[in-house]
Amino acid sequence: MGLNLSIDTAVPASSAFGSGGAAKVQRPGNQALLEVRELTVSFPGEGGSRSNVVSGLNYRIEAGETLGVVGESGCGKTMTSLALMGLVPTAGNVSGQIMFGGRNLADQKDREWRRMRGRDAAMIFQEPMTAMNPVMTVGRQIAEVLIRHEGLSRRDAADRSVGLLEAVGIPSARRRADDYPHQLSGGMRQRAMIAMALACKPRLLVADEPTTALDVTIQAQILDLILELQEDTGMAVQFITHNLAVVSELAHHILVMYAGRGVEYAPAEKLFERPLHPYTRGLIATLPDPDRKVAKLPVIPGGLRSSRSPGCPFAGRCSLASDICRAAIPPMIEVEPGHHVACLKVSQ
Amino acid sequence: MLRYTLSRLSQAILVTFVMSFLLFMLIGLMPGDPLENMLEGNPSLTPELMAQMRELYGLDQSVFARYWNWLMAALSGDLGYSSLYFRPVTDVLFPAMLQTVKLMGLTLLVSVPLALLLGSLAARKPNGLIDSVVGVFSFASISLPNFWVSLLLIILFSVKLGWLPASGTPLSAAPSALEQMRHMVLPVAVLAMFHVGPLVRYVRASMIETLSADFVRTARAKGLGEGSVMVRHALRNALIPMVTVLALSFGSLFSGALVVETIFGMLGMGKMIYDAIGNIDFNLALVGLLLATIVTLLANLLADLAYALLDPRITL
Ligand SMILES: Nc1ncnc2c1ncn2[C@@H]1O[C@H](COP(=O)(O)OP(=O)(O)OP(=O)(O)O)[C@@H](O)[C@H]1O
Ligand code: SF4
Ligand SMILES: [Mg+2]
Repeated sequence: MGLNLSIDTAVPASSAFGSGGAAKVQRPGNQALLEVRELTVSFPGEGGSRSNVVSGLNYRIEAGETLGVVGESGCGKTMTSLALMGLVPTAGNVSGQIMFGGRNLADQKDREWRRMRGRDAAMIFQEPMTAMNPVMTVGRQIAEVLIRHEGLSRRDAADRSVGLLEAVGIPSARRRADDYPHQLSGGMRQRAMIAMALACKPRLLVADEPTTALDVTIQAQILDLILELQEDTGMAVQFITHNLAVVSELAHHILVMYAGRGVEYAPAEKLFERPLHPYTRGLIATLPDPDRKVAKLPVIPGGLRSSRSPGCPFAGRCSLASDICRAAIPPMIEVEPGHHVACLKVSQ
Repeated sequence: MLRYTLSRLSQAILVTFVMSFLLFMLIGLMPGDPLENMLEGNPSLTPELMAQMRELYGLDQSVFARYWNWLMAALSGDLGYSSLYFRPVTDVLFPAMLQTVKLMGLTLLVSVPLALLLGSLAARKPNGLIDSVVGVFSFASISLPNFWVSLLLIILFSVKLGWLPASGTPLSAAPSALEQMRHMVLPVAVLAMFHVGPLVRYVRASMIETLSADFVRTARAKGLGEGSVMVRHALRNALIPMVTVLALSFGSLFSGALVVETIFGMLGMGKMIYDAIGNIDFNLALVGLLLATIVTLLANLLADLAYALLDPRITL
């Protein structure tokens, strides 16, 4: 599989990398590529109140590194990613800091978001069928990004799209570029989505459950593809999944979310060796044997509680819960270097 | 696509034949017969003479035989004589058709782009200011009777301000193109206003749905500007169901045209058919109704073809 994204065309190599020189975000040294501080996303709830879908989230991603974000359905993984891209639905309110390459994205203007999206940070989605425009050819949808951010002519952009499709392992790419999304298989569609996302060589790829909708064998291929492309391009990846087994394969750090909050955040090996939060422990304990890496997150008894009730959001389902747990929300505490956990029983 | 078109066309031709027979029968059920209507009250007409004329015109034959005669004549280009206008049917029909095509065509040129624009703007922020204004506008367009709107516009623009003529037909024998256009302004405005209301609602609903689609989010995630997100991605998809709506709106557009033609004194298809039926002009009514049938069939065929053109997932 040819994985060189800087396909040779009439276009000069520098623009193939999407680095418009000064146009790119400056990155002072010694800073993480992405640093999220106290990120909160709220929506208007019943009776005029606002409910937090994501509350006070903190994490960072170094350049070239992969962060795995895990948590059960509805815990706010997608909303966190949308906040990074400035794509939270208009009803939603985002607060906190999103430092990306030394700039706070949270107070960016729409125009700046548009210049950044698809160029500095790109996103791929769970369902590649609905995530692509059904009435536009695959090639055209990729070319669009190049025309937008690199000012290529239609022709050059079309040529580059074919190259990108080749790079993500789509056979007879030239023909495929003229296909509509429904003419591709699920796996091919997700490959095309990846080509679209990586067209301008972003420094951050946000992958929101990119393999969940795919067959088992295809899932593995897509994961491999993302890993290989990451090695080639040095991009950072925020990889969201239900599937702890999947992140164990590719993540350097793992953020476990529960009810819109981070409950444990640690380097991947540490988290698997010595999970501290009862929720994480539950997840890992019920992990199926390593050969069957495709299983979804196991079911832990109970359901998501409203994050607005006082105390630890996990208290209702936690076997260790006691009265102090219901008094205040446990803060995220660094219990050992790099290992953060939000549980009163652990930090005591 | 070609095969599909040909097969649909041959179906349409078949339906046209069947319809022509049904219409022939139905019109035959109208009270009176053509001779009586034409010669009514002529005292010198004896029953014997009448019977003789019946035989001469073939009116004593069975309905099948009469239909056959009409069909053969029609296929050879002879559509008969209009008892209302005392002219061959074709002489009445073609100017009326031209008039209606002009009226409806211009109306569509105004109402469709307007509906797309207003519907999309409204869909951007449901329940926002623009949406509310557009909502009131489309509500007015749907509920205000078009004859009343016509009269209102005539009073304002023709009587009070004197800017535009109150009739849809120029008086001079050879009017300039500009003069013709001036006469079309009010009729087209009224008909477009009548047509645009329901369309706006459909465009708005279709756009709201499309704007929440995943691929619109993808388009935004690519950093595309609001213009290309709205037009190239959202509207382009929202257009697909609009094709059917547009084809279905043809019937009401036609009946709206009838009212407008009547008020603005334009001899179009609607008014022609209406007068033909009211005055028991068999030949004219039959051909007029048949033509309306053919137009409907063609509109449906065009809608299906447009569907396939707009949506690559459909192959014909
Ligand atoms: N437009 C919205 N308005 C209000 N609440 C919303 C909106 N979209 C999502 N939510 C809520 O935000 C919460 C988090 O949703 P999110 O999609 O981020 O979860 P998720 O972790 O990605 O779940 P999944 O694994 O099912 O994709 C959910 O409880 C959901 O009900
Ligand atoms: S704080 Fe208490 S309830 Fe929450 S996870 Fe820790 S032990 Fe369980
Ligand atoms: Mg999600």
